[in-house]
Amino acid sequence: MQVAIASGKGGVGKSTITASLLYFLKDKYRLIAVDADAEAPNLGLLLGVEEWDKEREHIGAKVARINTETCVRCGICYERCPYESIYIDEDGNYVVNELTCEGCNVCGLVCPVPGTITLEQARSGVIRKATTKYGFPIISAQLDVGRPESGKLVTEEKEWAKKLMDELNLEHMIVDSAAGIGCQVIASIGGADLTILIAEPTPASLSDVQRAYKVVQHFRQPAYLIVNKADLNPGFTALREWAEAEGIPIIGEVPYDRAIPKSMAMLKPVVEAFPDSPASKALKEIAERIAEEILG
Amino acid sequence: MQIAVSGGKGGTGKSTVAINLAVELARRFKLVLADLDVEAPNDHLLLGVELAGEEPVNQFMPKFDYSKCTKCRKCAEVCEEHAIITLKDGTPFLMPNLCSGCRACEIVCPVPGAIQEAFRVIGHTYVTETPYGFTLVTGKLREGEERSMPLVVEAKKRARNLNYELLMVDTAAGTGNTVSKAIEGSRLLIAVTEPTPLGIHDTELILKLGKLMGLKTWVVVNRSDLGDVEKVREITEKYGAEVVAEIPYSENIVRSYVSGRPIVLEDVPEAKIFRELAEKVADFLGGDE
Ligand code: SF4
Ligand code: SF4
Ligand code: SF4
Ligand code: SF4
Repeated sequence: MQVAIASGKGGVGKSTITASLLYFLKDKYRLIAVDADAEAPNLGLLLGVEEWDKEREHIGAKVARINTETCVRCGICYERCPYESIYIDEDGNYVVNELTCEGCNVCGLVCPVPGTITLEQARSGVIRKATTKYGFPIISAQLDVGRPESGKLVTEEKEWAKKLMDELNLEHMIVDSAAGIGCQVIASIGGADLTILIAEPTPASLSDVQRAYKVVQHFRQPAYLIVNKADLNPGFTALREWAEAEGIPIIGEVPYDRAIPKSMAMLKPVVEAFPDSPASKALKEIAERIAEEILG
Repeated sequence: MQIAVSGGKGGTGKSTVAINLAVELARRFKLVLADLDVEAPNDHLLLGVELAGEEPVNQFMPKFDYSKCTKCRKCAEVCEEHAIITLKDGTPFLMPNLCSGCRACEIVCPVPGAIQEAFRVIGHTYVTETPYGFTLVTGKLREGEERSMPLVVEAKKRARNLNYELLMVDTAAGTGNTVSKAIEGSRLLIAVTEPTPLGIHDTELILKLGKLMGLKTWVVVNRSDLGDVEKVREITEKYGAEVVAEIPYSENIVRSYVSGRPIVLEDVPEAKIFRELAEKVADFLGGDE
């Protein structure tokens, strides 16, 4: 089974919770973890991965380059680039800003001087694999700064993970998705059997998880909700009301617990670092419910 | 002029820093705050305002006039997104979700009128007057849409068309090209981080981006008592940036976050940190003129 974990907003504890759930579920199932936050991957760190056993470069991005020798400075590319990624430097040359170019090649098509603009392959980042000290493998990625299309990296990660699942006869893939609702998240949720949403009881988190849920609905998947920092904001009932109205089962609530940031500083899942803390106890119950009601 | 607030990873308190700085800086500058975290825009919630002035962001997509199309497949070949599939006989079909609206297909189509303009709404921009003396511009990607770049471009354009002295942009998490698009053109990049190993790891990435873009970069350490600020300092210096403020973990900030009222307006010690930071920014911008 493929389970995505998403939140819409960053910083609501998604990776900590994922790491903790993996820690419990590993005893019962043969798992693979995928860190699908290619722009800020953290799950590997949280699971104590220090070295990657395998690393692949991903050459997938494309960027335009302008040959200043042949360019006649007509400015057409500058006007037509849909993303305003062409600028004029101090010397009056037309230059592509590689940090914002989307690689669409419109500039190349409109340039009147053939061969002046070329679309070149660029490295978009790396994908890597490690075996965690808990025994299960993890796939992670790192987008190079300023590159487009982190979603493609995530798709590649999941393909690699699927291969490993076949080779190693694994049962479940747990995908820790990025913040937001864009290409990375769509690549994370697409193809999953279900999504576990994580939110905290604040207006911002509610707004973002609602948006993530729309992506889940788009893929017609079932969703579940974990409320993190559940006691943070007792007057705020809108999150639970929303889940109820949408028929999203709440599979557990994790109280705000200083043990969590402490465990993150130790680079350990909280359930390993502080097994008796209130958050860890709640996470243990959640893992049991996931085992019973979801993974079977 | 423009400054940017960013943070590498999500949840470091980037938006908290952005809105509080905006409230404070609005006393000195005619200010526009652009929330370019288009996948999860939250500044309006933190400011306790309702989004207003909605405008759709229409994105081009090709519509084929099959009575004119000669099935030459050129449009499909040129589409970097592989958004056009062709049947065996060459008839093109669009998969709208993959289309980025770049118009490359329209440019190469040799038959006038075979590709017509159609549009779809991929999100919205908003212009909201806040009660704090500045204007908030928000970009919001529609759920199910993959590409945030066009929304970032449009929201930034809409912000730039307003009358301001200082444009402040609040970016998404991460360090991909939509973040560089948001930051582009800034005089100063303020990176908000946490002194945890994870925070430090992600700070390095945003510092790298700042350096690649040749930007003056400052670091604000949030929840500074939850980790080792020295480590942040080390990495910051390595990239020629500096730590300019430390904000300890505070229940007051959490409360202000939840209630939608910026903390600089309260009479609490944390407010002072933001006021001093704002002053530093103002000095930097003024002195540089
Ligand atoms: S490839 Fe597209 S995004 Fe890049 S510079 Fe050319 S027109 Fe602009
Ligand atoms: S369109 Fe071609 S010739 Fe004209 S400015 Fe751009 S690169 Fe130079
Ligand atoms: S507009 Fe661009 S992305 Fe869309 S179909 Fe045409 S070439 Fe492909
Ligand atoms: S390029 Fe124009 S004529 Fe050729 S297949 Fe596409 S739409 Fe038809």
